[in-house]
Amino acid sequence: MTSGPTAYSFEWAAIWRGLPYLIEGAGLTVLISVVAMVLAVLLGLVLAALSQVPGRWAQRLVRAYIEAFRNTPLLIQIFIVYFGLPQLGFRLSPFLSGLSALVLYAAAYNAETFRAGLEAVPRGQHDAAASIGLSPLQAMRHVIVPQAVRISFPALGNNLVSLVKNSSLVSTIGMVELMFVANDISFNNFRTFEIYGAAAALYVILVLGLTRLLRLAEVRLARAS
Amino acid sequence: MSMGRRGILWVTLVAVAAWLGGAGPAEAQSTLEVVKKRGKLVAGVKTDFPPFGYVDAAGKNLGFDVDVAHLFAKALFNDDQQLELVAVTSGNRIPFLQSGKIDIIIATVTVTDERRLVVEFSAPYFLSGSLLLVPKASPVNSLDDLAGKTVAVVQGAIQDKDVEQLQPKANRVKFGKVSEAVLAVKGGRADAYAHDDILVLTLAKENSDLRAAGKPFIPRPYGIAVRKGDTGFIKWVDGELAKMKKDGTYDRLWKKYFADVEGQLVKP
Repeated sequence: MTSGPTAYSFEWAAIWRGLPYLIEGAGLTVLISVVAMVLAVLLGLVLAALSQVPGRWAQRLVRAYIEAFRNTPLLIQIFIVYFGLPQLGFRLSPFLSGLSALVLYAAAYNAETFRAGLEAVPRGQHDAAASIGLSPLQAMRHVIVPQAVRISFPALGNNLVSLVKNSSLVSTIGMVELMFVANDISFNNFRTFEIYGAAAALYVILVLGLTRLLRLAEVRLARAS
Repeated sequence: MSMGRRGILWVTLVAVAAWLGGAGPAEAQSTLEVVKKRGKLVAGVKTDFPPFGYVDAAGKNLGFDVDVAHLFAKALFNDDQQLELVAVTSGNRIPFLQSGKIDIIIATVTVTDERRLVVEFSAPYFLSGSLLLVPKASPVNSLDDLAGKTVAVVQGAIQDKDVEQLQPKANRVKFGKVSEAVLAVKGGRADAYAHDDILVLTLAKENSDLRAAGKPFIPRPYGIAVRKGDTGFIKWVDGELAKMKKDGTYDRLWKKYFADVEGQLVKP
């Protein structure tokens, strides 16, 4: 667009100097991501279960929740919780603000994923469960949910990977996680390519670790059934 | 993974490392020539930093720095509209310059030794200390009052380091934009927001629930910045600034933008 950038020489030293801080930041990324994952999976399960309750109200409520949180940018949700709610007299700490926004957002995706899983279990399974004398609740617990979880697992994995990457948005509210540290370092030493490159590599490592764990869990689930 | 695939991975990594390691300085071209040939100056200005760079309700860029950019375009092309303004923040302005997205930074850049290593600075064109923006009813009146309190700063702005040095007992919380730091003070997220005096005074004037606190600390000059090694361009900038000071343009801009807070500023 404009004249070419001036000559750039890659500086490994900038990465080595920044790495301890980046790793420290990655620690908070892991913490907030893991806590958010657990809560978002639980909330997603609850919402998906609610969506199966007979009667229109529960379904409508879940639908409204999913549409509200899936159709708005996560960044706006983070800003509403962090900047907006205090004006209504409701102030969460930065960590809880970021965490709750991540959980509410990811839970909407997880709920959709679990709902799809539940609805993918063949109708015959419900009938079969009923025919051996299980109550609808028992059938859910012992027959339908285990199958639904297995069906929805790959899609759930994608949601969780997104969650780790989306956690970078909490850097905007002063949470000193990986993205924040990368900004902080590069805004001061101006080694943009090196520092964001190193941060990207750390995200890759985190996500590869996560996908490996998910893979193990998937194999286990398959074996358990 | 088979040995073959692993081998390919290593070869790729080594090749990338060698390429990165070998990327040495090439011949720097004069931005002034490029700009003239292009017929348009691309300047990075602030959009959230009144009265230096801000936007009005219609989205039009205004401010001291914006006027300077227009004057530069006029000097280059005899048309102050042969100019493209790019919004920058304290954090991204130098990367924008380095990556060639803009030709020049006219965006309240405080001259520091660290920044001198990566850009060329013009002669100073403004002198700014730092002040605190606090809620109207706040008991805070100086940096001393901020021990154990939370202070908002903007990432990449000098106050981040200044507050760390002058009030190490304060807990700094950093934001990407001025507007976010202001919101943090309004929402009680931070007890004070430290930034350039001229900005704080203007924000205090515009927000009746906020006030400026403290005496301006560590006054430092603002400079216009171009890419490192671009000495021809920075000489041209210095020449234009000198002309503006001589022919009264600078004084006119000063009155236009700083008249009502003039008494509280550090005079250059």
